[in-house]
Amino acid sequence: MTIDIPFMWTAFKEIIKALPVTMMLTLIPLFVGFFIGIVVALIRVYKVKGLLAIANGYVSFLRGTPIIMHVMLIYFGFPLLIDAVAAKLGISVQTQLIPISTFVLTALSLSAGAYLSEVIRSGILSIPKGQVEAAYSVGMNTFQTMVRIILPQALAQSIPNFTNIFVGFLHTSSIAFLVSQKELTGAANIVASTNLKFLEAYIAAGIIYWLVTILVEGLSSLVEKRATSYMRGGVR
Amino acid sequence: MIYLQGIKKSFRNQEVLKGINLTIEKGKVVTILGPSGSGKSTLLRCINFLEKPDEGVVQIGDVRVVAEKANKKDIMALRKQSAMVFQHYNLFAHKTVLENVMEGLIVAKKMKKAEARQRSEQVLERVGLSDKLNYFPSQLSGGQQQRVGIARALALNPEVILFDEPTSALDPELVGEVLAVIKDIAKEGITMLIVTHEMQFAREVSDQVLFMDGGVIVEKGSPMEIFTNPREERTRKFLKRISGGLPVHWIQKTAY
Ligand SMILES: Nc1ncnc2c1ncn2[C@@H]1O[C@H](COP(=O)(O)OP(=O)(O)OP(=O)(O)O)[C@@H](O)[C@H]1O
Ligand SMILES: [Mg+2]
Repeated sequence: MTIDIPFMWTAFKEIIKALPVTMMLTLIPLFVGFFIGIVVALIRVYKVKGLLAIANGYVSFLRGTPIIMHVMLIYFGFPLLIDAVAAKLGISVQTQLIPISTFVLTALSLSAGAYLSEVIRSGILSIPKGQVEAAYSVGMNTFQTMVRIILPQALAQSIPNFTNIFVGFLHTSSIAFLVSQKELTGAANIVASTNLKFLEAYIAAGIIYWLVTILVEGLSSLVEKRATSYMRGGVR
Repeated sequence: MIYLQGIKKSFRNQEVLKGINLTIEKGKVVTILGPSGSGKSTLLRCINFLEKPDEGVVQIGDVRVVAEKANKKDIMALRKQSAMVFQHYNLFAHKTVLENVMEGLIVAKKMKKAEARQRSEQVLERVGLSDKLNYFPSQLSGGQQQRVGIARALALNPEVILFDEPTSALDPELVGEVLAVIKDIAKEGITMLIVTHEMQFAREVSDQVLFMDGGVIVEKGSPMEIFTNPREERTRKFLKRISGGLPVHWIQKTAY
């Protein structure tokens, strides 16, 4: 067996053009998921009546099933749902015109929301109760205490966990190629399909994932060091 | 002024406060003594509703709250009348010394930032921390952290400051600096309610001493009365025990 190194380089240059798509399929779900995650985490921390059961069920189901299932369920299920609703309302929607990426992004956002809510919730729970009592004792209300005292510390301490989730979702975005999204993995497939040098193409794609991962991990540890310097006695 | 009437509190089936009545006049310094588990912390925490009493009336200044009918607004109003100094300091870990003191002024009292800063710097100077304004709590000794805790409370200029064993978590050599600060502000005429195990300090600083046991106030009186001539057997036993096996007359002597 020989490895065609020059082709690997060609493939690399071709595949990396799909990096923006991969980044979009990673960052948008994480961004949307972050807000879902905060809301879900707060519902669970404060045990909000009526919403608690829904929040628990959401997290339990999405973390209890593979992410590829979410993509498939939304990809096949959403059009049916939209058709049904449209029929009821007596309007016509051409579901086949909805871009596939919308389905993928929706599915990944919902998954990210579930995972991020757990990260945020455990961050919130790690803040000593004494600080909350101190905030109340100086006359702050529940909302002020959450926004000014708890969340800043909870989020700063969660940076390593956020990074893990980012890396996980960066890699998971590759499943979008199953529904023909031309992201890194999809691009590798296409590049190789001309000469069937799949191994070279996948090695090239793997290196790109790896480089992005290393870059993000390095960045994250820098940011974390700054954000949590208060804990180690770093002077401002 | 603090006025408590019929404060009761149970945790599960255990009645921790069995109907506390207490009036403290403005400007008085009152210490609470009592064995572990007697309900001292719970009483203090009921006064600012960190624990909600099951029954009773809490009044601080002119804010009066009836426990059974207390809503969020009442509780917020009551909390703004008091401030608390905690055994474990409970400083905001992500905020500097100065920010810790400013936080309540800006957020709860809606004070302008410049004014809050000025007031905070003043109070921090008072507790001897002018050179530590931009330090984080993690960079301070326990005694320094507790002095920030006291400054945070003092800055609010509350009707009353509640102290829950402010020196119990400190290394022995750091206790003195914190007690000195408390004594200093006691002179200022701010109402203070202090739970402490420091007998000498209680004797020196108090206008009135309360002895609590089993969820009731067993005895109250001037430091002289309580330390030299307690009426109740339970008080006598406690003082004997806390003096570390030394005979009671040792405390009596130091009380003069
Ligand atoms: N949140 C709580 N849940 C259940 N029980 C509690 C709670 N807080 C206090 N208690 C119980 O109430 C009783 C009184 O506690 P409290 O902390 O008021 O005592 P204390 O007089 O402050 O004691 P110490 O001198 O040890 O601080 C104890 O038996 C304690 O176990
Ligand atoms: Mg206590």
